[in-house]
Amino acid sequence: MSILPNHHHHPAAIGRHYRRRSHRVYAAATTPTKTRPKLEKLTINPTPLITPPKLDDPSLKSTWSHRAWVATGCTTVIASLAASLIGSIDSHIWLEPILSGFVGYLFADLGSGVYHWGIDNYGDASTPVFGSQIDAFQGHHKWPWTIIKRQFANNLHALARVTTYTVLPIDLIWHDQPVAMGFVGVASGCIMFSQQFHAWAHGTKSKLPPLVVALQDGGVLVSRSQHSAHHRPPYNNNYCIVSGVWNRFLDENKVFEALEMVVFFKSGRRPRSWSEPNSDWTESTVESPAMAD
Amino acid sequence: MVSLVKQPLLSLLPSCNATTQSPKQYPFANTPFKSSQSHFHGLKLTFSNPSSSLTPLISKTSVIVSAKVNKGSVPPSFTLKDQDGRNVSLSKFKGKPVVVYFYPADETPGCTKQACAFRDSYEKFKKAGAEVVGISGDDGVSHKAFAKKYRLPYTLLSDEDNKIRKEWGVPSDLFGTLPGRQTYVLDKNGVVQLIYNNQFQPEKHIDETLKSAQV
Repeated sequence: MSILPNHHHHPAAIGRHYRRRSHRVYAAATTPTKTRPKLEKLTINPTPLITPPKLDDPSLKSTWSHRAWVATGCTTVIASLAASLIGSIDSHIWLEPILSGFVGYLFADLGSGVYHWGIDNYGDASTPVFGSQIDAFQGHHKWPWTIIKRQFANNLHALARVTTYTVLPIDLIWHDQPVAMGFVGVASGCIMFSQQFHAWAHGTKSKLPPLVVALQDGGVLVSRSQHSAHHRPPYNNNYCIVSGVWNRFLDENKVFEALEMVVFFKSGRRPRSWSEPNSDWTESTVESPAMAD
Repeated sequence: MVSLVKQPLLSLLPSCNATTQSPKQYPFANTPFKSSQSHFHGLKLTFSNPSSSLTPLISKTSVIVSAKVNKGSVPPSFTLKDQDGRNVSLSKFKGKPVVVYFYPADETPGCTKQACAFRDSYEKFKKAGAEVVGISGDDGVSHKAFAKKYRLPYTLLSDEDNKIRKEWGVPSDLFGTLPGRQTYVLDKNGVVQLIYNNQFQPEKHIDETLKSAQV
């Protein structure tokens, strides 16, 4: 699922905003000896630096297509929650659906972190299926402030589309399972709206609704301080962006570092976060409004 | 002195059995990393209660294990190539304490932290009369670049095929997917006085082994 800035439908817009300074290709080469094949970084065809998006850029605005996808996504989420509520009333249960909803909330945060970690560290713009998102993630690291300028449906529509595709069949199959619907409704809702939570985490306290600030300060939504740590070197922590409740556990127990080591020894692929901070990660200082306080 | 052997709990799972297997394209891919069968004989396990809920899970549980090279034993000798292609034997260090640390790979975050920590404390080890030797499965080219980049003043040895690692019984982690991070302190007679294992807190290797080397 897309978590960070959605990929546009206009490749030119994508290129204009998020094209990186250079492409990196990782190649594995076998050696005559039985040593581990080395990954070699190749820098090829460096492209000129593209100027950051303007604050009133049309690509940051919502279109009717974006709004339609957000509507369908919300419909499937609401359908799940409604099915859970109705089923719970019919079955005279309340604790189990609430608990499963809470588990869904926790699952969404963990899932957001794992997905974010994978997309931030592996692949590139040419990767099948995920390429545009990987490029967008890198662009977000370069220009993190664009997310707060993106209109609501523009920000969420990619996740809303994936939610629609995923949750609709689940709704149709399991609509009579209130506990399962509780989990699905809350998890999918949190994942779909994670991009909004993410945008709020980039916001300025004085400009955010007081309720949002309260939820961030209360740990219900990912906090501005926690997420800003992700945008500082070495860019290898605080990957979760729903509530951030998993971040401390995952970071203190070096879970992603362990996964990176396993991936490295299994496949030879190095995560991007192992490299020195470079232009792919480093936030551009050109026309960047203040980050969250 | 009291030996201190700590191992991650997960290193005691299936990897520590069966016969040695040849590595394939990647030394540890598709083949759980295994040490010799005798590693299991006389295995003794004790668990200590975690002292803090915030310490990394993987290194949280202390386990005392009778590894192939134990405290009090003389490890099998070896001759490996260093970062400059020269053959280096363990016997070269007889007559002075030596810290032999096995680490997963060059240019990985934990190993870099560990290498730099040994570098930063190298003078203290020298003052104690001790030498420091790092061993991994990387080749000499990798070691040379790694040592140059981080200005490592000590010897890095290439244990290709991880033969020495297996002979010494260095346990692997995470169900055999990761080469273990284990450090041995040998006294001037070549006898092991300390074995320390900690995969995800590499800097702790320096503190623990320096204390031992200074005794």
